[in-house]
Amino acid sequence: MNSLRQAATRKLRTWAARRGRDVLPMRISRRRIYILPTRFGLMLALILAAMLIAGLNYNSNLALAFAFLVASLTLVTMHHCNRNLLGILVDVTPEIDAFAGREANAEFVLRNESNVERPDVEIRVLPASSTGAAGIGAAGIGAAGAAGVGRVSARNDAAINVVIPVANRGVLHVEQFELRTRYPFGWFHAWTYVQSPITIFVAPAPLGSRTLPSTGASGTAATAETRGDEDFSGLRTYQPGMPLKHMAWKSLARGGEPAARTYTGLSSQPEWLEWSALDGLDAEARLSQLCLWILESDVAQRPYGLRIPGKEIAPSGGAAHRFACLRTLAAFGAASD
Amino acid sequence: MERVSFLDLLSIAACLLLALLAHVHSLPVWVSIIVAVCGAIRLGLAWRGGGAPPRWVLLTVAVLVIAVTFLRFRTFNGLPAGTALLCLMMGLKLLEASTRRDMYIITLGIYFLCIAALLESESFWLLGYLVGVCWLTSATLLRLTTGLPRPAWRPSLRYGARILAQAVPLTLVFWLLFPRLGGPLWALPVDSDSAETGLSDSMSPGDITQLAQSDEIAFRVHFLTAPPPPQEMYWRGPVFNDFTGRTWKDSLAVPRQNPNLQLQGPAYRYIVSLEPHQHTWVFALDWLQQYNLPRAQLTADHTLVTPFAVSRAVDITATSFPHANFLLPMSEQLRQRELNPGKANPRTRELALSLRAQHPGDMEFVSAVLQMFAQQPYFYTLTPPKLADDSVDKFLFETKRGFCGHYASAFAVLMRAAGIPARVVTGYQGGTFNHFSDYWIVRQSNAHAWDEIWIEGRGWVRVDPTSAIAPERVERDVSDSVSADTATVSHWRGHARWLADARLRLDVLRELWRERVLTFNQDSQERLMEMLHIPDPDGEKLVFVLAAALALVFIWLTWQVRRELDPHSTDPAARTYAKLCAKLAGAGLPRQTHEGAEAYAARVAEQRPDLAAQVESLCRYYSNLRFAPPGGLTAAQFRTLVRAFRPGHVRPGHVRPGHVRPQDSRASRGS
Repeated sequence: MNSLRQAATRKLRTWAARRGRDVLPMRISRRRIYILPTRFGLMLALILAAMLIAGLNYNSNLALAFAFLVASLTLVTMHHCNRNLLGILVDVTPEIDAFAGREANAEFVLRNESNVERPDVEIRVLPASSTGAAGIGAAGIGAAGAAGVGRVSARNDAAINVVIPVANRGVLHVEQFELRTRYPFGWFHAWTYVQSPITIFVAPAPLGSRTLPSTGASGTAATAETRGDEDFSGLRTYQPGMPLKHMAWKSLARGGEPAARTYTGLSSQPEWLEWSALDGLDAEARLSQLCLWILESDVAQRPYGLRIPGKEIAPSGGAAHRFACLRTLAAFGAASD
Repeated sequence: MERVSFLDLLSIAACLLLALLAHVHSLPVWVSIIVAVCGAIRLGLAWRGGGAPPRWVLLTVAVLVIAVTFLRFRTFNGLPAGTALLCLMMGLKLLEASTRRDMYIITLGIYFLCIAALLESESFWLLGYLVGVCWLTSATLLRLTTGLPRPAWRPSLRYGARILAQAVPLTLVFWLLFPRLGGPLWALPVDSDSAETGLSDSMSPGDITQLAQSDEIAFRVHFLTAPPPPQEMYWRGPVFNDFTGRTWKDSLAVPRQNPNLQLQGPAYRYIVSLEPHQHTWVFALDWLQQYNLPRAQLTADHTLVTPFAVSRAVDITATSFPHANFLLPMSEQLRQRELNPGKANPRTRELALSLRAQHPGDMEFVSAVLQMFAQQPYFYTLTPPKLADDSVDKFLFETKRGFCGHYASAFAVLMRAAGIPARVVTGYQGGTFNHFSDYWIVRQSNAHAWDEIWIEGRGWVRVDPTSAIAPERVERDVSDSVSADTATVSHWRGHARWLADARLRLDVLRELWRERVLTFNQDSQERLMEMLHIPDPDGEKLVFVLAAALALVFIWLTWQVRRELDPHSTDPAARTYAKLCAKLAGAGLPRQTHEGAEAYAARVAEQRPDLAAQVESLCRYYSNLRFAPPGGLTAAQFRTLVRAFRPGHVRPGHVRPGHVRPQDSRASRGS
C-alpha cells in the first residue's frame, strides 16, 4: 500500500516536472492543485457510507438528512482545502549556503493577496527523484523531504523556513518543492509541485588544527592587529553581510548605489589559503581546514585568496568573496566530473 | 505522534458528552455510568499531566465491557444493543486517547452517535440539537487539526458555521433527490426493547385504562371525502378471537383468502398518518377496501397488517365502506372457535343461557344485554377495581365498574355462551378535529375496545356495549373540538380553550414536519419531478436530476468559496471600482497595475477627452470612499453611477458632464 503510494507519487512528480520550470514568483493556479482524501478522510468516508446505509435501511429521513449534511460538509471542506493553496504567490531564494553537519535554511516567501487566511501551509523540499545528484549530492534530504509549516494571514506575506539537515559536503540540487495543506479538518490533502531549482552549497564543516599560514604562532595577536579599521581605503558595492556601521550613508543619500566603506588593517597583505600547504591530510580534511581559514580570515577582515586544484580565486574580502570561496569548496570534485 | 493536552481532551469529551446526551433516555443506566466513569478517569489523569492507562488495563476493561453488553442484550445486532456498544466503545476510546489520531476517531464516533440518535427519534428539536453538536465537533476538530498557532475558539466556531452553512444547499439537493429504497435492504431485527406504544397484541381488562390517560398521538387522519360522523369513526386495530378467562388473545393473523364482502354505503377516502408504534397493524375504518401500503395485507380479521413493525411514520391512503354484507358463511372450524366462551366465569355463562331463553332472536338477545348494561348500575370508570380469576363474573356481578375493555370482554363472553359467535375488536374511537388545518387527531386516549357478532345472513356486525351504559363516553371524546362552540361545553373548558387552540396550532406544525419531512418518500420525489415538469418521472430520471442539481450546486459552491479569494470581495467600493476598470478596459483603456485611481483617471482623460469629466469624478469618488473619512457618496450610489457609465457608447458630442458633476462638490466636501 505504502510502496504503491510512493510509486504513484513519483510518477505524478515526474509528470508534473514535464511541464518544465516555473518562473518564480509563481501564482498557484487551480489546474496544478491535486487533492485526495487522507487516511482520516477515508475513515470518514467509511463512516459516511455506514450512516447512509443505516438511514436508508431504517428508512429514516432525519438520519439521511444528517448523513447528507456530514457528506456535504466533507465536499465543502474539499473546496476549502483546495482554496487554501489557490492563488498563493510563491517565491524562494534559489541558492542556499550551509555547512556540512549543520542545516540548510531554505527561505520561502508566500504572498497571500486575498482576504482569507491560509493556515497550515506546508512546504516540503523534495529530494531529487531518481536521476541526478550522483555521488556528492546524495547528502542530506531524506526520502520524505524536509518540511516547514506556516500560516499566511490575509493580505500578507509569510516567510516559511524549511530546515534541511545536510550531512555531507557537496552541492545539492533541489528541482522540485511541494506546497501542501490539510486544512481544514485534515480530511483532505491538497498539494502542488513547483518546478524551480534550488541549489544548496554545502561547504565542508570548518574544522582543523592548523593555524593560518602567515600569522604563525602569534595568531591571536595578528588578529587583533588586523582588526584596524582606521585606515579608510575606499568604497565597495554593499553586499549583504557587511557590517552596517561601514555603510556609506552619505553616498547613498546622494542617490548612489548602496556602498560600504572598506578599511585596511595594518597587516593587509593578501593571504593565500592553499590546498598544497596542507600536506599529510586527506581531501575532505584539507577542505575543512581551508573552510576554517576562510572564516577566520573573514572575521579578521583580512583579504585572502583561495587556491585549490583546478580553481583559484584572487584575494579579496567581504561576504560575496567569502560565499564564492565556500561554494568553491562545496563544489570541489563535482565540477571535474 | 503528538501527545494531546488536557484542554484538547476536555473539548472532545464535551462534544462526546453532548452527543451521548441524545441517547441518555434510551441507554441502560449502567452504560451511561461506565462511559461517564471512563471519561472522568481519563480527564483526571490528563489533569495531573498523565497519559492513558496502561494497555493491559484498557484491554481488560474492553473485554469486560463487551462481555457485559452481550450478557445484557444477548446480541450486538439491532439498534439498542448497537447503540449501547457504540457508546461504550466511545467511552473506552476516550479512556485510551493519547494521540491526535484517537481524537479523530472520537469525532467520527460522535457523527455516528448523532445518526444513531436520529434512528430512534424523529423530533425536529433533536435534529436541530444534533446539527449543533455537529457544529461544535467540527469546530473542535478544526482546532485539533490545525497546526500551530492553534486558532482561537471564536474564529473556529465561525468558520465551522460558515462551512456548515455552505453545506446546506448540497444537503438539500441530496436529501430531496437521493433515491429512496422502497423497503429496508435487509430485515431489521425486531427490537424487543424498543418501546411499543398504543394497543398490544392481547387484551386484559385494565390495559386500555393506561392508554386512556396518555395524550400521545396515535395517528392523524386527513379525509379526502366528507368524514363520517365522529361517533361512527371506529379505527380498527387488532382483533381477538380466543379467551383464556381473563385475557383475550390470538388475532387471526392469516391473510384473507378472498374478499367475500359486498360493500355498501358512501365510500370514505382518507389518509392515515400513522406514528411509529412498533407493531405490525395499521388502523383503518371499517370496512377497508383499498390501501396503498406496499406488502401490507388484510388478515382474516379484516385488520391491515404490514410485514414489518411500523418503526417510521407512514402515510396510508385508504378507502373504506361503512357497511358490508358477508356473502360466504363462516367456516365450521372458525365458528367453533368464535363460540367458545372459555371454561371460567360460570355465573356469566348461566346468565347468558337464562337471558337467551327469554330472547330467542339474536338481535333481541343483543338488545337485552345492552339494556342490562344501561339499566343496572354499571359504572364507567378509568380506575376500575382489580379483578383476579373469573374476571367477567366479578365484573358483571360484583364490582360493576369498568372500562371499555371490561364491557367488550363481558359482552363477548355473554354472546358466545348464548351461541352467537362474537369477537373483541380493539382500536380507537373518534378523534379530535383540528380546525386550524383540515385533519383529525387520534390520541392514545381514544383507545377503545368493542365487539363484533356474527349474524347469519349479514355477517359480522359491530356492537359497542360501552356506549350502551355510558353514552357520554362517545360524546365526551368528540366534545374536545367538534362541539367546542356548542352550549354543552362546560364552563372551565371555555377558559382553557386558548390552551387547546395553542395545542392544536402546535400540532399543525408537527403535522407539517411529519408530512413534508418524515414521510418524504419515492412518491414525494415523483411529485417533485412533476413539479419540475419532467415527464413520466422514474428512478432513472431521478438520478439524472440529482446529477444535474449537484452540478449546479457545485458550480455555486466553487464560486462561493473562491469569491472570498478576490481581494476586492469584502470592499464594495473596490469591487465597484474593479467594474469601472473592467468597463474602461473594454473600451481599450486598461488600468496598469501600478496606476492609482487618480493617475489612471488622468491618463484616461488624456486619451479620451470625452470621458475625462466622468472618469475623473468617478475615480475621485472611489478615492474618497476608500481613503476619506465616511461622508459624501455612499458605496451604493457609487455603484449606481458606475453601472450607468457606458464608455463604449459615449460619443464626443454626447458628453453629459452635468450627469455626474453636480455631486462633485458634495464628494469633495466629504474628503
